Amino acid sequence: MEYKKDILSAFLPFAFFLFFLGDAFALPSSPIPQRIVSLVPTLTEELYLLGVGDRVVGVTIYCQRPPEAQSKQKVGTVIDVNVEKVLSLSPDLVLASPLVDHKQVEKLRDLGMRVEIFQEAKDFHGLCENFLSLSHLVAQEQRAAEIIEEAKRGLEATKKRVEGLPRPEVFVQIGANPLFTATGNSFVNEFIEFAGAINIAGDAKTGIYSREEVIRRNPDVILIVTMGIVGEQEKEVWLNYKTINAVKNRKIYTVDSYRFCSPTPLSFVVTVKELARIFHEDG
Amino acid sequence: MKMDRRSTWIGWTFFLVALLIVVGFFSLGVGAVSIPLQKGLFFLTKGRGTPEYAILFEVRLPRILLGFAVGGGLAIAGVVLQGMFRNPLVEPYTLGISGGAALGVCLNIVSGGPEKLGIFSLPISGFLGAVGVISVVYILSTKGGIMRLSRLLLIGVMVSFIASSLIMLIMAITRTEDLHGIIFWIMGSLEEPNSSLIKAIIFISLGGLIISLIFALDLNALSLGEEEAFHLGVEVERVKKALFLLASFLTGCCVSVTGIIGFVGLVVPHLMRLLVGGDHRILLVASYLSGAIFLILCDTLARVVIVPMELPVGVITGLVGGSVFIYALSRKGASF
Repeated sequence: MEYKKDILSAFLPFAFFLFFLGDAFALPSSPIPQRIVSLVPTLTEELYLLGVGDRVVGVTIYCQRPPEAQSKQKVGTVIDVNVEKVLSLSPDLVLASPLVDHKQVEKLRDLGMRVEIFQEAKDFHGLCENFLSLSHLVAQEQRAAEIIEEAKRGLEATKKRVEGLPRPEVFVQIGANPLFTATGNSFVNEFIEFAGAINIAGDAKTGIYSREEVIRRNPDVILIVTMGIVGEQEKEVWLNYKTINAVKNRKIYTVDSYRFCSPTPLSFVVTVKELARIFHEDG
Repeated sequence: MKMDRRSTWIGWTFFLVALLIVVGFFSLGVGAVSIPLQKGLFFLTKGRGTPEYAILFEVRLPRILLGFAVGGGLAIAGVVLQGMFRNPLVEPYTLGISGGAALGVCLNIVSGGPEKLGIFSLPISGFLGAVGVISVVYILSTKGGIMRLSRLLLIGVMVSFIASSLIMLIMAITRTEDLHGIIFWIMGSLEEPNSSLIKAIIFISLGGLIISLIFALDLNALSLGEEEAFHLGVEVERVKKALFLLASFLTGCCVSVTGIIGFVGLVVPHLMRLLVGGDHRILLVASYLSGAIFLILCDTLARVVIVPMELPVGVITGLVGGSVFIYALSRKGASF
């Protein structure tokens, strides 16, 4: 009994002591951000498009474009942010995607930083909206409007070019093992439609897709989004299925994953143009 | 003789407390951003408002405190379970507690709970998942008021398998955004923005230590066997139930805040048993302290191994814990 009391009396004061720990902490913020940390490759690229690349102080290790961005301080990956590294750069704006760990976002906000989360764009329209809100944050709306105007013109031109042409059926492979594709709810789907073709997985509910279904749907073109060397390997795999039209006609292409999966309004249009060329070689 | 044992215990406790303090300061001092020690003292007194102050006291310190609470809590949950089951492979996770918590969190994430209920949503759903599994395991393994331990263990392991299969099913059909949330949680992390949650878990974890110490002598008796314990005057059934609930509750609370951090509850009690012996009065204290030390060290490693990225702390606890344990076992040879 003695012994039990001893334990209690030894621990309770210590436990209470732990409750005296400090809280809030705030950094001053200015209306137009001068020190930006971008945790999203597309947004990094867009900041340079908007001409404010010199205000970027921190990026992720995946921010490869433009090449200037590679020399910035690295603060983590798209999903894993090093909180203390960000803090040490004293940014007045942190740009993040919903993929980042929400605990890390909370932490950064707790530390008084302004964190803006950009929802992933699902289509060209969303892409432009995101680009506009980004330009608003850095006070470059005029420039953004011009860029979007240019992109829209390019898109219209391509649309006109492919109008009335036969629409080939396309299967887009984004991942292997399991086979993963782009569903209708993505801008990859829009790429294909703008370029005058049909995505065979446009009606699929999730991205996981069965190889048998691909064979049954018999696509005219297969696009493999490069995953390093895997892209070439996957091409070899498809060549074994000789009944597929795409295989018969040798219409299997690998496409650049960076531009395909994280486009800016400008690169979106470039990709659509390239795809239109692939789908309608004679057109 | 008795005095002698007591002084050894005090010696161990002092040694481990000292080590804990050293490790705590070490962990405070290293990270992606280097802050010299003498400057650290300066920041403590005058540095309020600088990024360095925030890094030390708002980023690193909360992680260390959470590592302390969760490491200690998982370790004593392991000691309690291994003691009552008399089985070296039992740990909080083999009984399906973490599986249940993970399932709760997954269901919450895919149903969009975090957006509706905010920051406490995941801990609560994790805890409810753990409680759900504990109740199932408890009810299925208790018959006529008697809790059968071998049955409990088997059911726990099966429930754990079912939970992880369900989680994989959910992951296979979920949206990418949700998938990330689930993976983060399953990998475990000591990053926790909410300071009241950290305070709460420290309180619960220390409370768990106190309660388990009250049961220390019962645990000593139980580790001789249930029948022997009964003849020594222990109310076996009542004690078993209380201990099972204690260990489950502690684990449930820990994993619901940090996600799944494996190995602490399995390895630390074993190592401590090799070092300080099997008497639960010292084993619980020593395991609590070294669990805390172990997790804080592992998290420090996780933070600095591949800067600027952070490894999930579960990766390090598994690698380091497993290797150290195999080394210790093969050196001591015949203990098992």
